[in-house]
Amino acid sequence: MSPAPDLDIRGLVKRFGRFTAVEDVTFTVPEGSFFSILGPSGCGKTTLMRMIAGFSRPDSGDILIKGNSTIGLPPNRVAANMVFQHLALFPTMSVAENIGYGLRRRGHSKSEIAERVERMLERVDLAGSGPKQINQLSGGQKQRVAIARCLVLEPALLLLDEPLGALDLKLREQMKVELKQLQAKLGTTFVYITHDQSEALVMSDQVAVMNAGRFEQIGTPQDLYYRPLTAFVAGFVGNSNRWRGTVSAVGAQTRYAAEGGFELIGQAVSGLSVGQPVDLFLRPEAITLSRGTDPEAAAANALVGNVQSLLFDGGNSMAIVAPDRGGGSITVALPQTGDLADLTPGEPVRLSWSAEQVTGFAAASAA
Amino acid sequence: MSVAALPSEGAGRAGLRLSLILLLAPALLWLGLLIILPHIQLLALSLKVKLGPRLYETGLTNYTEFFAESIYWSTLIRTAFISIAATALTLLIAFPVAYYIAKMIRGRRKNLLFVLALLPFWVSELIRTLGWIIILRETGLISLGLQWLGLIDQPVELLGNDAAILVGLVYTSMLFMVVPLVTVLDSLDDTLVEAGYDLGGNGFAVLREIIIPHAMPGIVAGCIIVFMLTLGNILTPALLGGKNSLWFTDQIFQKFIVRFNWEQGAAFGFLLLIVSSLVVWIGLKITRQSLASTMT
Ligand SMILES: Nc1ncnc2c1ncn2[C@@H]1O[C@H](COP(=O)(O)OP(=O)(O)OP(=O)(O)O)[C@@H](O)[C@H]1O
Ligand SMILES: [Mg+2]
Repeated sequence: MSPAPDLDIRGLVKRFGRFTAVEDVTFTVPEGSFFSILGPSGCGKTTLMRMIAGFSRPDSGDILIKGNSTIGLPPNRVAANMVFQHLALFPTMSVAENIGYGLRRRGHSKSEIAERVERMLERVDLAGSGPKQINQLSGGQKQRVAIARCLVLEPALLLLDEPLGALDLKLREQMKVELKQLQAKLGTTFVYITHDQSEALVMSDQVAVMNAGRFEQIGTPQDLYYRPLTAFVAGFVGNSNRWRGTVSAVGAQTRYAAEGGFELIGQAVSGLSVGQPVDLFLRPEAITLSRGTDPEAAAANALVGNVQSLLFDGGNSMAIVAPDRGGGSITVALPQTGDLADLTPGEPVRLSWSAEQVTGFAAASAA
Repeated sequence: MSVAALPSEGAGRAGLRLSLILLLAPALLWLGLLIILPHIQLLALSLKVKLGPRLYETGLTNYTEFFAESIYWSTLIRTAFISIAATALTLLIAFPVAYYIAKMIRGRRKNLLFVLALLPFWVSELIRTLGWIIILRETGLISLGLQWLGLIDQPVELLGNDAAILVGLVYTSMLFMVVPLVTVLDSLDDTLVEAGYDLGGNGFAVLREIIIPHAMPGIVAGCIIVFMLTLGNILTPALLGGKNSLWFTDQIFQKFIVRFNWEQGAAFGFLLLIVSSLVVWIGLKITRQSLASTMT
């Protein structure tokens, strides 16, 4: 028998009045892994996390930490610790007192607490900062104190609620890498909440995409990016060109008539029928861009157009191309090699992409 | 041009200083005329020793008399201790009330409860204290109620003792403790309390390590206000404590108004000021707070 996963969530439901904030969520997090929950603001991430930490009770479902149900346990008895969205460091205590707080609650001796706090400070690269006051720390240091304060208790599970949200962009990029390395070094299981897809993709072993209280898909970052299962995941993870359209033919390949007036050819998808409304996705970097005026004959999808504008952003530069036939515009990633760095607006270009790159999902019937 | 500009700039600065003086004038006048001047007068008065009609010399007799006569200093000590007890009791009662108002309820009910806590202060202190007399006297509500329940067979007089004084003082002081406590607890971030629990603390640990340290400025501010008000209160001890309330302000009153011994009264007033300052100072030292931090 394999050991119980660190966290096992079964059919969790939470309602506020008639509003369902978390709806039938089920997942497991294996020991030592980095699990992220990614979703837009207000989708119920914090609500889910607060149930795991023991702050609120689910209306139904079960939460097992290392195989033991935590339903009904007060938060101070749940073997998971939480890093709060705004860190919630105790401003009336020094750094060392903050980290030692949990150990004091467990009744360890003073000398042992001092020693363990010092060791923890070293592990998060804050050796010697113990006597400092919280307001003397930088944003990134506070971050690490908040994590150290939990980790010193050696929890089965560390819950992090958008801990990088309050940091500026530069520091966030840096902390992303640091957090991932810290987790790998310590081997503690992390459950990480974020609405920033890049955080989730960079750090996680597994990502769950959440929308309106439900999990849309659970998978590795690569799964979510290359093999999204729903239109929401395809649209939320990474950048995409997105069209509404209808299915015009099914068979070995599926043909779509996109709203802009041009035709897209995608792979065969089971369950779609002719005339059905669909959402279509195409990643900017899946499109081959070259100079020329005649469409590429070999590719499944090919068209010609003019460069409408260029968005230079170093390695992430994009061109927006207006196709000759049909309306709308297509965003295309410029090759990283810099081959087309001298492209100018108005230039004629040709675009092509293979059938695998076009993803179509049946549009929600209500729409 | 630049030379011409200089004098006007000088005039501007002088004008600024003038407007600053004018701006501060009311406060300075208030301080000077109502607080500093009377106290200088009182000090001078307290150092005068009456030798005969219109015959005075300077000396400390008024003060030495206070220490010589045990009834005086024991009353002052007693007054200080009852005031400290009343302050502590007020804090103990007000803290849960303030916590409930600040943290446990939200929205309209919160405002309603806050107003409810203020409501007793819409009637004057005299009326409020008379209310307590009606409740506590021999033919009062409690006495009658206990008799009706059969717990006692004779009317009991609950007035005229220290407990009655305490009850009255605590009741009168509640507001001045609740308001600073609600303010300071309102500013406590809920997630700090949650983090306190999450990291393994029980209710007591969270209270002691997180809530009270955060609330300390409010606690100290409330305690100073309540202590000062109680120590200087004259109405409540007189009405609820009866003839032998032995309250120090009452003795000052007696000296000034009944005996016309203004010199001794002034000395007593100064001693009260010294004792109250001393108690506050010790309190601040014990709680490691500064007066400045409690006022912000
Ligand atoms: N105590 C509550 N009472 C009523 N509704 C609530 C309560 N807490 C949360 N909600 C609702 O539940 C939904 C999910 O909230 P939640 O805080 O979990 O979102 P979130 O995914 O964490 O968003 P964010 O990324 O902005 O933090 C929201 O629509 C919110 O209004
Ligand atoms: Mg949230």
